[in-house]
Amino acid sequence: MSRQTLMPYEELTTEEKQQLRDLLPEEYQDRLLLAETTDEEINQAVLKPMFRSGPLFWGAVIFLLAVVLWGLFAWGYQIRWGFGVAGINRPVYWGFYIATFIFWVGISHAGTMISAVLRIFKADWRRPITRGAEAMTAFALMMAGLYPLIHLGRVWKFYWMIPYPNNRLMWPNFQSPLMWDMVAIFTYLIGSSLYLYLAMIPDMAMARDNTEGFRYRFYRLMALGWRGTESEWHKLHRALTIFSIAIIPIFLSVHSIVSWDFAVTLQPRWHNPLYAPFFIIGAVYSGLAALATILVVVRWGSKLQAFLRKEHFNALGKLVMVAGLSWLYIWFATLIVEWYGDEPIVAELLHDEFAGSMRPYFFLMMFCNLAPILALMFKRVRTTPILLLIFTLMVNVGMYTERILIVIGNLERNYLPFSWGDYRPTWVEISIVAMTFAGFTLFYILFSRVFPYVPVWEIKEGRLRYTMRRIGRLLIPTAAEIE
Amino acid sequence: MSETITLMGLFQTSTATADAIDELHRLNVPEPDVVVMTGIPFPEQALGRHHEWIRLPYIVLAGAFAGLLFGLFLSTVTPALYPLTVGGRSVVTGPPAAVITYVFTMMATIVSTFLGVLWEMGFPSFEPKYYSDRVTSGNLAVLVTCQEEQAAEIKEALVAHGGQQIHRPERMPL
Repeated sequence: MSRQTLMPYEELTTEEKQQLRDLLPEEYQDRLLLAETTDEEINQAVLKPMFRSGPLFWGAVIFLLAVVLWGLFAWGYQIRWGFGVAGINRPVYWGFYIATFIFWVGISHAGTMISAVLRIFKADWRRPITRGAEAMTAFALMMAGLYPLIHLGRVWKFYWMIPYPNNRLMWPNFQSPLMWDMVAIFTYLIGSSLYLYLAMIPDMAMARDNTEGFRYRFYRLMALGWRGTESEWHKLHRALTIFSIAIIPIFLSVHSIVSWDFAVTLQPRWHNPLYAPFFIIGAVYSGLAALATILVVVRWGSKLQAFLRKEHFNALGKLVMVAGLSWLYIWFATLIVEWYGDEPIVAELLHDEFAGSMRPYFFLMMFCNLAPILALMFKRVRTTPILLLIFTLMVNVGMYTERILIVIGNLERNYLPFSWGDYRPTWVEISIVAMTFAGFTLFYILFSRVFPYVPVWEIKEGRLRYTMRRIGRLLIPTAAEIE
Repeated sequence: MSETITLMGLFQTSTATADAIDELHRLNVPEPDVVVMTGIPFPEQALGRHHEWIRLPYIVLAGAFAGLLFGLFLSTVTPALYPLTVGGRSVVTGPPAAVITYVFTMMATIVSTFLGVLWEMGFPSFEPKYYSDRVTSGNLAVLVTCQEEQAAEIKEALVAHGGQQIHRPERMPL
């Protein structure tokens, strides 16, 4: 064994590292954690895009802000004139709002999946994308959290849902799934925001050490006095491990509870014990796809090509594909039980979905959800950012359509044919839904400019793990057990 | 009585830092008087330091237990205090109570982890401290508190193991 194969990779000279890289099989040569960059170069590569915002960025901010303001106007209009200005009616009492609410809760699932699950399993490809995923979770949950307020109608009565002794002698009804919803989403939002912030503290210190003026004051405040002592690292690591373990059951429970909003009712097709896993798997599928979409866009917008590489898109694409196959399985498992039951109203709903008024939506959902699974089987698709962008966008069109079918499609028919009805969203609903999409995008692009989008310390830690080991004729990067 | 001073040295690699710390141990510098600052987390004991016992898991357990009690209180006790009478009595049922109790337990677990780790680290702490902003650029900083008469010996030990810019640092605002 030479010195090169025995020494920690970080302690080799540049020439030795280059010699090793030349011996590496091609698939390892472009690995982020083996890249020849110094810590200072990594710092600057992450900080530089944060301090340069071109006209495209400001144009996007102004456009998104305009959409948000329009949506706020529509919400105000709804508050002023009442829920009659929305398209919801009897029997479709949950329309666009609740379908979009489920969509946003679903999107939030990838953050935990990528960050917590892959942290526990020590998957190194997660390192450059965890912060983007965690931020996606936090902002998606903020948007989801607006819908219960929007759907309250009399939003100024919101505080009645908060449990505190009051002279109205009223108390929240904890038997209600809607109450579980509020508590669960609030818990997940708190958990994911704290998780995001905690892992960001060392990078706030890095930004503090490399800035001046008002930026320095901001990052100094956010870094809380971090110095990077052994003791601080040790405690941070322990806390992140506990967070990772605790947040996984929370992420499972949140979408289960959202599914119980539906499953505990007697509405046909909703009253289904498989709804919780069906919702969770659907959420993971749409969340992972949304993350891939966002990463491609941020990589281009913030010029982070050095950090978000083919290896990451390849791994993420595989995960999206697996989630898609799981979604197909659980969709079929739900369907076959309903179909065998042959209950007349369920048969009517299935007919309406496959061959009736909802047929276009059904075929759109199936095409958009299944075509990406087939496409992502090819490495070329997974590793070509523009193709990945197209197919993961398709997944979210499909998953949004699925939520439309679940909420609106199933409410249009019920046990009493005389109360069947139709639903058409109004400009108010469309504007408010557009507001949340614009709001999410706006928060996200601002976040990517204010905070280090790539977890710098996690990448540096990952680099420390690698050394080279000779296996037969090959020289292979090998990870040390140091986390 | 001699003056207590602080010395700081910057190192390039973890191996050199660990060797320097071993040398400081040989010079009978007490463990708490040596602080190492790094830009990345090194495995515990990699730099030749002792294992630190932390209270965080116990804080988290206590927080989770408090959340469990609070969730139970909300879901089973308060319906009796503010009864929504159905069939002549207030509604308290097991499965919904389990959902609420579970969610509050998890919320308290998360919040106590966050508050617990901040408390353990003594954050936020903005007063001036010994620090080098080269730590986040890849250097390892070793901070030694010692008596003035030991300073020359310690300086020599740090230099011998690759320490650079050995100096008496000034506290800087963080």
